[in-house]
Amino acid sequence: MPIHQWAGITTMALSLWAMYASIQKAERLKRILLIAAVVSVTITGHYGASLTHGEDYLTSTFPSNKRITVDSPSDSLLSIKNVQLSQAQLQELNVQVRTILAHHCYKCHGPTKVKGELRLDSREFIMKGGKNGVVVVAGNPADSEIIQRVSLPRNHKDAMPEKGEGLSGKEIEWLRFWIREGAPWPEGKEKSLYRVASLAPRTPEIPPSSGAHVSPIDRFVNVYFNDHKTAWPQTIDDRTFIRRVYLDITGLLPAADSVDDFVGNTHTDKRGLLVARLLNRNDDYAQHWLTFWNDALRNDYSGTGYITGGRSGITAWLYKSLKQNKPYNTFVRELISPSKESKGFIEGIKWRGTINSSQRTEMQAAQNVSQVLLGLNIKCASCHDSFISDWKLEEAYAFANIFSDTILEINRCDKPTGKFAGREILFKELGKINPQSVTEDRLKQLADFLVRPEDGRLYRTLVNRIWAQVMGRGIVEPVDVMDNVPWSQDLLDWLAADFVASGYNIKDLIYKILTSETYQLPSVTVQEAEMITAQDYVFGGMLRRRLTAEQFSDAVSLAIQPVYPDSLVVSKLLPEMLSVSMPFARASLVKNDPFLTALGRPNRETVSTSRTSQANLLQALELTNGTLFNQTVKRGALYFKQTHPDATVLVEQVYRNALGRLPNEDERKIADRTLGKSPSEDEIQDFLWAITLHPEFQLIY
Amino acid sequence: MKHRVNRRDFIRTSGAAALASWAAGAPVASLLGSCRDGSFSKTSSADTVILLWMAGGMAHTETFDPKKFTPFEKGMGADKVLSTFDALPTAIDGIKFSEGLQSIGRVMDKGTLIRSYVAADMGHILHSRHQYHWHTCYEPPQTVAAPHIGAWIAKELGPKNPVIPAFIDIGQRFTVGEAEELKAFHTAGFLGNEFGPFYIPDPSQGLESVRPPVGMDATRFERRNQLYNDLISKSPVAEIASDYQKESLRRSMEQAYRLLNSPEAKAFDLSQEPKEIYDVYNTGRFGLGCLMARRLTEQGARFISVTTEYEPFMGFDTHENGHTRMVGMKKMIDGPVAQLIRDLDERGLLDRTLVVLASEFSRDMMVEGRPGLKVLEQVDQPDVLSDLKFYGMHRHFTDGGSILMFGGGIRKGLVYGQTADERPCKTISKPVKIAELHQTIYHALGIPPESQYEIEKRPFYTTPDGKGEPILELLNTGKNTAGLT
Repeated sequence: MPIHQWAGITTMALSLWAMYASIQKAERLKRILLIAAVVSVTITGHYGASLTHGEDYLTSTFPSNKRITVDSPSDSLLSIKNVQLSQAQLQELNVQVRTILAHHCYKCHGPTKVKGELRLDSREFIMKGGKNGVVVVAGNPADSEIIQRVSLPRNHKDAMPEKGEGLSGKEIEWLRFWIREGAPWPEGKEKSLYRVASLAPRTPEIPPSSGAHVSPIDRFVNVYFNDHKTAWPQTIDDRTFIRRVYLDITGLLPAADSVDDFVGNTHTDKRGLLVARLLNRNDDYAQHWLTFWNDALRNDYSGTGYITGGRSGITAWLYKSLKQNKPYNTFVRELISPSKESKGFIEGIKWRGTINSSQRTEMQAAQNVSQVLLGLNIKCASCHDSFISDWKLEEAYAFANIFSDTILEINRCDKPTGKFAGREILFKELGKINPQSVTEDRLKQLADFLVRPEDGRLYRTLVNRIWAQVMGRGIVEPVDVMDNVPWSQDLLDWLAADFVASGYNIKDLIYKILTSETYQLPSVTVQEAEMITAQDYVFGGMLRRRLTAEQFSDAVSLAIQPVYPDSLVVSKLLPEMLSVSMPFARASLVKNDPFLTALGRPNRETVSTSRTSQANLLQALELTNGTLFNQTVKRGALYFKQTHPDATVLVEQVYRNALGRLPNEDERKIADRTLGKSPSEDEIQDFLWAITLHPEFQLIY
Repeated sequence: MKHRVNRRDFIRTSGAAALASWAAGAPVASLLGSCRDGSFSKTSSADTVILLWMAGGMAHTETFDPKKFTPFEKGMGADKVLSTFDALPTAIDGIKFSEGLQSIGRVMDKGTLIRSYVAADMGHILHSRHQYHWHTCYEPPQTVAAPHIGAWIAKELGPKNPVIPAFIDIGQRFTVGEAEELKAFHTAGFLGNEFGPFYIPDPSQGLESVRPPVGMDATRFERRNQLYNDLISKSPVAEIASDYQKESLRRSMEQAYRLLNSPEAKAFDLSQEPKEIYDVYNTGRFGLGCLMARRLTEQGARFISVTTEYEPFMGFDTHENGHTRMVGMKKMIDGPVAQLIRDLDERGLLDRTLVVLASEFSRDMMVEGRPGLKVLEQVDQPDVLSDLKFYGMHRHFTDGGSILMFGGGIRKGLVYGQTADERPCKTISKPVKIAELHQTIYHALGIPPESQYEIEKRPFYTTPDGKGEPILELLNTGKNTAGLT
């Protein structure tokens, strides 16, 4: 555009000068100026044509102009001339065009916003055009307004899209090609623009074992490692292993003696036996995993809604379910088709007053069941047709209607539409809900359909969540977006299929993961947090994690002194037998407080399926001068002072309690320098504090 | 993630995103699917925001928008009473404030008075729900946890002084009724704890929050930190001491130590203030909160909220004895607010500090909700006032309300909007909605209106769908159309 503009101005200047020369009878000058003006007008014209016809308008018809690029496997399509496109090619072209339109145009010319009376989200709308007439002239890109507008320079007032970056040259080329081909649109159902994970279960064959790496998980990972030219590192030592499995199964630190016993144990399958033994500590297991499920099912002991009866807790049910290791299909069935004890999850949170339609409790149920159980986000689609998937507003409402006594009026962006959806499950292949049944029966039907073995998605979502909990990252990430590409489809599919085959047994799944060599690889880390969820992530072992708020609190309780008094345990919400089966007031069983909040416990107003692993200032302040934490450490100092008069023994005991090892020489020296022979309570307190803030204490590595 | 992100915004937000996002569904800055029109390019007129929160519903007719005064008489009709106080002149010609707010009245030439705030319709009134809406711009419940405006500002701009937490929340205790509902919006929500509030429930104890633990002197505090660093450096598990989690832990610890040791921490120590100034502010926790806000502003705070504190049926939440209670509430706010404005002004800080005084909605003696959209009444208000305790604004009124704004580029001496002089005393010109107010604040801070983060693959804006235009008329840079006196 600037060249076109300046060349035009130059042409005019030259012409005026030539006219002046002519008046002055300066013939020689006039001739030169006229020639220059002709050149200039040619340049102007050329760049003008480039603007309206594309930069390649001169050369695009040359036979040698077939572009071969490697940008996209389908770019070769662009080079096709005068040949009837095949159905497959048409599909491919259609996907390209719709992707471009979706990316750049839908937000102003789509279902939620129709600027200039123009929509570009279906063939019908595109060909109809907008307020200013047609935008696509089939067969004639140059005359098509859409091409003209997207080709304008970005600062031109008519340039499209109005905001953000414009289309790339390649994208414009695709649109032009499509129009030149007659703006074809394939018949029948449109191919999705988005990756959709398959619903059906799949049982991949377990790869052969090479002798090493025997367990099925390891065999799949072995294939993955071979593909990625990764060598198997040496597995972790016993101390690291016992700390890991204790924290992952029970959320507790192993006692110092248990560590020593384990290291000294010579049994060949001692690791497997340990995992099995820990999994059998049913209360410890339940008290640890309660945290994960409380977050995911947004169950809390205090929170909004309780004050006006707009919310029910499911703590007792959840605790019992975990303690019994309730088969996951039953677990899900009881959440969706609930008893009084488990109804809190689908009943959601009701605030007093009127609620936006997309936040109604029935819609909350639809959203949370999708997200937590199916790894599927329909929050967008509960307000308008989704921009990030094929889910439609109507489908979200049809799903929500299953939970609703009455059929909800569809609201689009909080405006009533006067339309109503039926009652249908999101994945219709799972079964047909009888829309006439009463709610209770409908929920039963829904629960039965969702837990069918055919619902591979439900089980993939679960195994991926458990994997992420103990490995630091899911096979698919984010764990709520199961349509993303797993780093090993075979491993994910096998785990899910095996989970179903083993009777929906979560502990069995954990056992299989924790006894695999894969779990026992040295931990790895990333430079930046975003790399964890990056789609090109390469698996190389467990990702180092920080202790959760609850794990940290419990670790302090065990290694130093209990953080919470027993009186703070929410006993009334728990099954009766609990008081006897608890080593100390575990953080998972107390109400949220500033200490736990600072360390990352969410407020459970919304479902939450992952926690941050990074530290921040507010957290550091809470640990540095927070009352609860510092008082705990102070009590610990008093305890150690009374029980360990010898400073050397004290230091050793603290190291063993907290880090599962003895201090090395350097550490002894530092401790000795600080504590001396008979340390004061203050000195002990500071030493304990430094140990609990130690990365080796704070991380699962 | 592959979205079109304009480069300016990308540069602006990618640093913050890099700090913030970690695991599944972590927010990522993006411009995906923006429904907003127009572009944004401007410099800021404010660096710091102080929100003075009149918790519990402050009646506009009893404060900054007085109507006809009807003194109490036994047996009077309730419908006759529009205001229970006399109206007195302010620094703005022709503008009067309800009796008891003369000090604020005297500084009104330094700020703008909005008389046309209109709260949302959310049915049967629940204070915390309206407060949630006011502070986050989103009506609860929400499918993702909505951030407090202070958290948005902390996220977008970061701390002004690295050792002062970017979002400081003074005066609200969470041991009161509706505490859980209050907690639901005193949060950074999906932006992450890092941007959440630093609480100082009681400003007279503020120093406690930023000094070494009780009983630990500076030397010992320093020695403890040294021990910590020494032990880490000698840990045999050296490789785990080099990754980003550990880095973030150490960085945060250093930051905490810096704050607790810094000269800036003295800002939290109100005993350093000259007695005569301290006494002006000392009307209780709110007044001292204003003093702390000023001291923190001097040291480079970013966002400070000071509240009269919400507790059901306390403070401005007058369900009876409205008149009598208002006398006390005015005493609580009048001196400190005026002094805060004067102090900031004298120190040259008011130019870049935006002070906003607001409440979740107003009150009226007759109307619950708004005219034509009355909601379930919560107060038995007799038609005939047999007792002084019935004399006052006891119902929740959402169709009018006053907001004061000072400094940070806000026009001086402007009166914006108007309510009717007869009941219902509702907004009759230039209604101001919460999204517009938020966008005005963001505008002053130079935060683009379409600011958003992507959470769970969808955009979440500072105001719903990025809607709500900043009210440029309130700002010095805006067009000069009305109301200046």
